[in-house]
Amino acid sequence: MEYQVQPVDGVIATAADVATIRDIIERRVNSTGVAEPLVQTQGSDRIIVELPGVSDPDAIRALLGTTGRLDFIPLPAETYGSIDVATGAPTAGVKPVPGQGALLDDPTLKPLFSGEQISTSSVSTDDTGQRVVSFSLKSEGADLFSTYTSENIGSYFAIALDGTIVSAPYIQSAITGGEGQISGGAGGGFALEEATSLVTILKFGSLPFPIAEIGVTEVKATLGAAFLGQALFAGAVGILLVFLFMIMHYRLAGLVASGALIFYMLIVLAFFRLIPVTLTLAGIAGFVLSIGMAVDANILIFERTKEELRIGKGIIPAVEAGFSRAWNSILDSNVSSLITAFILFYFGSSTIKGFALVLIIGVLCSMFTAISLTRVMLRAVIHQPRFSSPYLYGVGRGDLDSEAAALKPAGAQHE
Amino acid sequence: MNKIIARKRWFFLFSLLVTIPGLIFIVATPLSGGALGLKFSVDYTGGTVWEFKLEQPADALVVRDVIAAAGHPEVQVAEAGSGFLIMRTKPLDLQSGSESDPSQPAGAELAAIRAAIESEVGPIAEAGSLSTVGPVISQDLTQQAILLIALGSIGIVLWMTYRFRNLRFGLAALAALLHDVIVTVGFFAVAGTLFGVEIDALFITAMLTIIGFSVHDTIVVFDRVRENLARYAGAPFSDIVNHSIVQTLGRSFNTTATVLITLLSLLVFAGGSIRTFVLALFVGILSGTYSSIFNASPLLVWWDERVTARKSSPSARRTA
Repeated sequence: MEYQVQPVDGVIATAADVATIRDIIERRVNSTGVAEPLVQTQGSDRIIVELPGVSDPDAIRALLGTTGRLDFIPLPAETYGSIDVATGAPTAGVKPVPGQGALLDDPTLKPLFSGEQISTSSVSTDDTGQRVVSFSLKSEGADLFSTYTSENIGSYFAIALDGTIVSAPYIQSAITGGEGQISGGAGGGFALEEATSLVTILKFGSLPFPIAEIGVTEVKATLGAAFLGQALFAGAVGILLVFLFMIMHYRLAGLVASGALIFYMLIVLAFFRLIPVTLTLAGIAGFVLSIGMAVDANILIFERTKEELRIGKGIIPAVEAGFSRAWNSILDSNVSSLITAFILFYFGSSTIKGFALVLIIGVLCSMFTAISLTRVMLRAVIHQPRFSSPYLYGVGRGDLDSEAAALKPAGAQHE
Repeated sequence: MNKIIARKRWFFLFSLLVTIPGLIFIVATPLSGGALGLKFSVDYTGGTVWEFKLEQPADALVVRDVIAAAGHPEVQVAEAGSGFLIMRTKPLDLQSGSESDPSQPAGAELAAIRAAIESEVGPIAEAGSLSTVGPVISQDLTQQAILLIALGSIGIVLWMTYRFRNLRFGLAALAALLHDVIVTVGFFAVAGTLFGVEIDALFITAMLTIIGFSVHDTIVVFDRVRENLARYAGAPFSDIVNHSIVQTLGRSFNTTATVLITLLSLLVFAGGSIRTFVLALFVGILSGTYSSIFNASPLLVWWDERVTARKSSPSARRTA
């Protein structure tokens, strides 16, 4: 889910406000017991909430989207009537007492105090067995409440959450201890979820600015799972084709590179276990792509080796020169991939971040496997006399020396 | 193959022939109000996409009419494979409680659509992914796309300039890179017009990946140019560049081939939302190899010739 923090009366939330909102939302999420939630800010006014495996997202959305401003509002007896505590006889007011769920639209009403005066709250049951939310007030709120209730016995007052009435009881007696209860209105009491979510909101405070939901994505495994299987199959086919390509072109060296590529995949998959990478479809595509890119360094090295072999160098110096001379190109290429991957990672949304992270891990790992690992394996191979034929490294028979004087004739043609 | 530099005008012409139609279709997108050119997915336009599977398969058009009658005339319904249907509407249920009815719970609009389908068409066997994007996100995406491509290009030009100690190498790489961006976006503008292919939020990821990858081949050639400049000091610049390109041709083709192999495999066997993404990468990387060999390096020569010509011509020296 993606939220945008809304300005109030033209005042825009500061970074600190957005961080506060993020913290409050995270605490609200945690109170629901969802496993591994992710709550993060993005840009100047965005908050992203990711909840894996939630069965009832709408209930959580209702909880998270609530600003959570709880107001204790006196309803004057002149307007809303009162009840004679001794006899129970009602005196009708000009307006009916608003019921639960009604919008409080009377601008003359001013709250006595707000939710921040609540120090603790919990779900409990009242004398009649109905589920209620009990609260105790901090001293300032307790004093205000005590004064008001002792002076206005019989009047109604309203408890409103974000401008909607939660309950509008009348004052039966002065509440002096700072303790009170909110009952669920019309006789029914709260449902357990309602009571719990109200307690959560009271406990973690209200949001300094309201938030609006601007995007929501709910990914179910059903259709995705079919695509995931397809993507993995496609990846396997792609890898086999790359092996085939490398072995056909570079023979023994290609085989060594394929071996290094298997190590590459194992190392990258191990990283995926260590770093929590969300393997989305794009992430898998990134991984498959990175396999194609991981052998690029090997291709650069082997092509260079072939060149050195063609001008008549021995296997061992040719391979060493292949590694050292190709290094510049490999470094420059990988750095440019990393530049764009980091930009994606830094600025992207979560799906894009996943892809970028896969790419970053892939590029860094391939620098290791394609260079260090391949070099160690090739060195072990090239010192054995039976592996010393240039043919095994992709040089065609009769190809030697054909390029030695390539530039001069080419230059002569143009002059 | 060994007269690449001599024929550079032909290669530039070919690039123009590919990029200009693409550019026309790209520019047509805003001018035609979306009727021509790029087709944007919900990620950019805002809206709700929901996948669901009916117990009894039904025609997408029938389901479309039912949802349209339930108060969403703009709805599109398409078959998604594996028996799933995909529904697209304007953004649903973004606020718990709409303006007209504040007490309406979150999910009520979707629930109404579900109820309409179940009563008119048949029971829903499975509800799949649901995604809603508001207009705010979609606005950001377009800005973000342009910003990211600009940042990526600048980053690479700076890196190339730093490594080759020469702004010309950086700018030639930039030209090749912009060529690839235009080819890819242009390809999708044409494909969007002709086949309704949509681009989504992942498209920008593909663009950045292309930018990062397409310079690989450019770097390989430039690296060789630098090496040969030292080795064959005094030889004509155009010959050195031509020789460098020929020497590294095998590399350019092979590195591109391995990446295209994996992408082709994904394109053939993998389906769903990454199809467009993979296709974009495929087109971009193919274009990247072409532009590295036939645009970036010839540009270096062209530039060098211009500078040399100006130095030797007295009239140019006066104006310079």
